[in-house]
Amino acid sequence: MSSEVRATRRKTVAPVTWSQRLSTPTALMFMVTAAVFIVFSISSENFFTTQNLTNIAVQVAPVAIVAVAGTFVITAAMIDLSTGSILALVGVVGASLLASGLQSVFVILICIAVGALCGLVNGWFSTYQGMPSFIVTLATMSVLRGIALLMTKGFSIAIPSALVFAQLGQSSFLGLGLTAWVAIVCVVIGSVVFYRMRFGQYITGIGSNEESVRRAGVRTNFVKMMALTLSGAAAGLAGVITAARLGSGDANSGVDFALTVITAVVLGGTDLLGGRGSVIGTVIGAVLIGVITNGLVMIGMSAYVVPIVTGSILLIVIWINLRGKNLAQLLKQIVTR
Amino acid sequence: MGDIPLVELVDIRKSFGAVVALQGVDLTLGRGEVLGLVGDNGAGKSTLMKILAGSVQQDSGEIRVNGESVRFANPSEAQHHKIGIVYQDLALCESLDVAGNLFLGREPTVGPFLKRKEMHETAARVLSDFGVSVKSTHQLVGELSGGQRQSVAITRAAFTNPSVLILDEPTAALAVAEVESVLALIRDVASKGVGVILITHRLQDLFRVCDRVTAMYEGQSVEDALIGDLDIESLVAMITREGKDRK
Repeated sequence: MSSEVRATRRKTVAPVTWSQRLSTPTALMFMVTAAVFIVFSISSENFFTTQNLTNIAVQVAPVAIVAVAGTFVITAAMIDLSTGSILALVGVVGASLLASGLQSVFVILICIAVGALCGLVNGWFSTYQGMPSFIVTLATMSVLRGIALLMTKGFSIAIPSALVFAQLGQSSFLGLGLTAWVAIVCVVIGSVVFYRMRFGQYITGIGSNEESVRRAGVRTNFVKMMALTLSGAAAGLAGVITAARLGSGDANSGVDFALTVITAVVLGGTDLLGGRGSVIGTVIGAVLIGVITNGLVMIGMSAYVVPIVTGSILLIVIWINLRGKNLAQLLKQIVTR
Repeated sequence: MGDIPLVELVDIRKSFGAVVALQGVDLTLGRGEVLGLVGDNGAGKSTLMKILAGSVQQDSGEIRVNGESVRFANPSEAQHHKIGIVYQDLALCESLDVAGNLFLGREPTVGPFLKRKEMHETAARVLSDFGVSVKSTHQLVGELSGGQRQSVAITRAAFTNPSVLILDEPTAALAVAEVESVLALIRDVASKGVGVILITHRLQDLFRVCDRVTAMYEGQSVEDALIGDLDIESLVAMITREGKDRK
């Protein structure tokens, strides 16, 4: 027996190569995204232009930022429905603080802190108080948007375009919008935390078998609370980006945002029931939704069709997901049949 | 080895409301000894082991480890006294790889980052030392067979350097060949000086690995015998109290 183990030791310590990683279903999701991209490029001459591709990158940025954090939440077998409301509240808070004369840098930091605080509240109720995250974030979704509406009485608060805050949504670097660069940095950090740090390891373990992780001496409630705090902070950052891009803080922004984020995460191969997650897959999921949303408009479909399409995608991928697969695995099964 | 037992449980009592689960249980375990803990469902075996592992606290009675009187408020305190337990269903995370499971809760890091290479190399060496065969330490535990999972779970518990290892039904629902490798692993662990308490309903396993058997009946330890002094009939009689005074 020991010789058998010795014989396989070279194999056991062999690192997983990038080609091996790309042979996973994530690569297939990438191919699906590329195929959709090509179809829209052929269907509309305005789709594959520098201007439009930059637009897609900027539109995808807030979804990608929150979806990366959402990957941690869903992998830990929780859910966050409040991200859209946090986004709206933070936008309103940011615009109000700017209107009061506070410097942009401080406003951005306060906005992210407000998002993190909302996430912390979600996390505390969902872990130490034993409430399902679905119920907690459903409640805070309503509460936070209500606060934003109360603050603005339904009107949007303008952000002067000369402020650094507003420049964040309008400036570009190397031809790519600054918000897209922020999203890229968040994706890199999220990937490192998910794949290379204890926190990511515990998130995956908790989604798979929380009791086992707890018995291994890990403070699982704290880890879960931090995942929801991270989601709140990411939604806060997305709120900053959205308000900067729109040039105003609007209590009605981000109504379908949480739906889009969850769709991106599940579309990317993260198991809705927890235990299996992919940050890279989530990014591909977010890009795929961005491409579909933009492409539908570019080929002349009504903007009102977009929520119907994204909602339908969510329905289908969750239907597949609850059968123990994700879309990419299903595609792989079909391809290899 | 010395005269002091590794573990002594003296007159352990525990009630859950009106239900009396344990009513004065005594148990001893020596170093390198494999003790079979048997009894019918509801006899109190699991409750007793949860008390020893710190998951449940006794109402009265004394736990001595290496002669020192201890009381565990939680599993961490039991682990601090080098008492490990492998639960039947709560052992591993299926979506983590083999190395991730072996190191769960004590992953080596450089700064905030996992030392993955070290984790996999050490995992391969430890599994090899215990004679556990897996295709790769990168393999997800969910892809392993039942026997491999149980072996990884036991190796994980043994990897923490315990003095006492409690195994709750480690061979339940395993194929014959898998049972063989798990039993071999148990003997291997005991040969390193670890005292092992084995809870099982598979009586034939007791004759393969145990040195001694303690039987429980309705919350009491009723009989204790060397395995060499028993055959399958007398073991069944120990468990069912057949031909003896029942309470």
